[in-house]
Amino acid sequence: MATLIQQIINGLSLGSVYALIAVGYSLVYSILLFSNFAHGGFLVIGGYFCYGSLRLLGAGIWTAGALALIGAGFAAVLTERLAYRPIRERTNVTLYLLIASMGMNIVIENIFVIIVGGRFRALPPVIPTTPVSVMGLATTSAFDLISLLSAVVFLGALQLFLSKTRWGLAIRAAAYDLRTAGLMGVNVNLLISIVFFVAGFLAAVGGIFLSVRYTLYPQLGAITIKAFVAAVIGGLGSLPGAVIGSLILGLAEMLTAGFISSQMRDLVVFSLLVITLLVKPTGLFGKSVSEKV
Amino acid sequence: MSGYTEGIIILLCINGIAAMGVSLLTGFTGIFSLGHAAYMALGAYTTAILTVQHEVHWLPAILLGGLLAVAVAFFIGVPTLKLMGDYYAIASIGLGEAIRLILENWQSVTRGARGYPGIDPYTTLPVVAAFFLVLAIFMFNLINSRFGRACKACRDDHVASSLLGFNTARVRVLSLMISAFYCGVAGALLGGFLSFIQPIMFDMLKSTELTAVVVFGGLGSMSGSLLGTAVITLITELFRPISQYRMLIYGAVLVIIMVLRPEGIMGNREFISWVRAPFRRKAS
Repeated sequence: MATLIQQIINGLSLGSVYALIAVGYSLVYSILLFSNFAHGGFLVIGGYFCYGSLRLLGAGIWTAGALALIGAGFAAVLTERLAYRPIRERTNVTLYLLIASMGMNIVIENIFVIIVGGRFRALPPVIPTTPVSVMGLATTSAFDLISLLSAVVFLGALQLFLSKTRWGLAIRAAAYDLRTAGLMGVNVNLLISIVFFVAGFLAAVGGIFLSVRYTLYPQLGAITIKAFVAAVIGGLGSLPGAVIGSLILGLAEMLTAGFISSQMRDLVVFSLLVITLLVKPTGLFGKSVSEKV
Repeated sequence: MSGYTEGIIILLCINGIAAMGVSLLTGFTGIFSLGHAAYMALGAYTTAILTVQHEVHWLPAILLGGLLAVAVAFFIGVPTLKLMGDYYAIASIGLGEAIRLILENWQSVTRGARGYPGIDPYTTLPVVAAFFLVLAIFMFNLINSRFGRACKACRDDHVASSLLGFNTARVRVLSLMISAFYCGVAGALLGGFLSFIQPIMFDMLKSTELTAVVVFGGLGSMSGSLLGTAVITLITELFRPISQYRMLIYGAVLVIIMVLRPEGIMGNREFISWVRAPFRRKAS
């Protein structure tokens, strides 16, 4: 019983980190309708910014974290400006954006391979990992609770931003129809920059927690595949869907690792994806797919 | 001919076969795949297991490898290709990773992550050239057939083409199945060429490369895809000394092509029309 509760907390914690990544990815998808494969790159940028400011600048975790989030946010905006905007302005073929994003992912990954090397790096112990007892039922790591809590805070902030602010309203309008939003006087380029900033920002939060949980290395971004899977399970382009999908995925992964075998966890993830696509391809909260012909 | 040159030519033919398959799917039908290495893996492992453990002749084994890839493509394609958008792309990542993980963990059949050694070196230059020629002739005829035009129609405007009476979902699934066959055969030939296969050879980077050469050559141009794969294969050989920067250059090239010339080297024209074009312009 204690193991079960412990694995559920682990799963929720991992799932909440996936949710941070999946929400940013889903947000970009909902506006531009393409899978941004460079999203994993933003996560790695966040991780290395955090590592660099902790090690080289000797900053505290709050400063380092803030630097990492803002740095990754601007890196995401820069990526959009350099690689996606020229394509966006010329054509509306999302395939080109998709391929450019794959290229950007390879570029970002290999910039880090060349600059800092492919070595696995451990972040300094900035986030406590001491064991904590949860209501006397089970023991878990403080890190799991902190990552769960931070995810809730950031996702709540995103929800407030989207529902209460003018730009949030504009983003929701653009998710419905980007062109019409532009015609109604929304500055589309600024809006897309804001969306990418938010996506990079949230990916960096995920990146920091992932590099504490595992280690930091240039290929860490590959883990975003799981966030993509979570976004599809929840329904592409749906933010609540991305969160629920991520939690399901995190739980499934940790329960498999705890009770069956840790080798099977990735297999379970991809089986979940295939089953979702077979049974309900639009995902749990997908928009009704009117484009189905 | 030296062994090295022969090896490169065999590799060019194998990559060319896979590129033709992906080109039909991505360039002509407009479906993006990030898991075609999985079909190569299926072909390679089926052929390896059939020839080594069951002593089947390599020719039926290669064809069976291709057919298994077709079967898997069918089961993945039917639910996901009904939907437009990136569903197949995401599903293909899942498929690619799942197949690689199964190959790594199913020790008793595939010998796991350490790889499958001792495959007969059946991929000689005449064999691979024959496969390449037959498959190329078939493909170049296919893209100009009724089916090929249906693919292009679905790519350019799926609503209009479905209104014209094309069964778009069926065309898309068929296109995926044919491309899976080409990749399965290419994988089987690769196994025979290296006489050793390993699940990690068919990871997502390989899938990305398969799609990238097609984009590089020009979406909607079969000869462009062949040119693209030839250029990338040869550049990979040239850049071996600076392998550290190879992937960086490769990624940057992808982005730069998409920004500057998204239609690739050849655009959507074939080599023949590209040669004739200047003369035609003078005449008019």
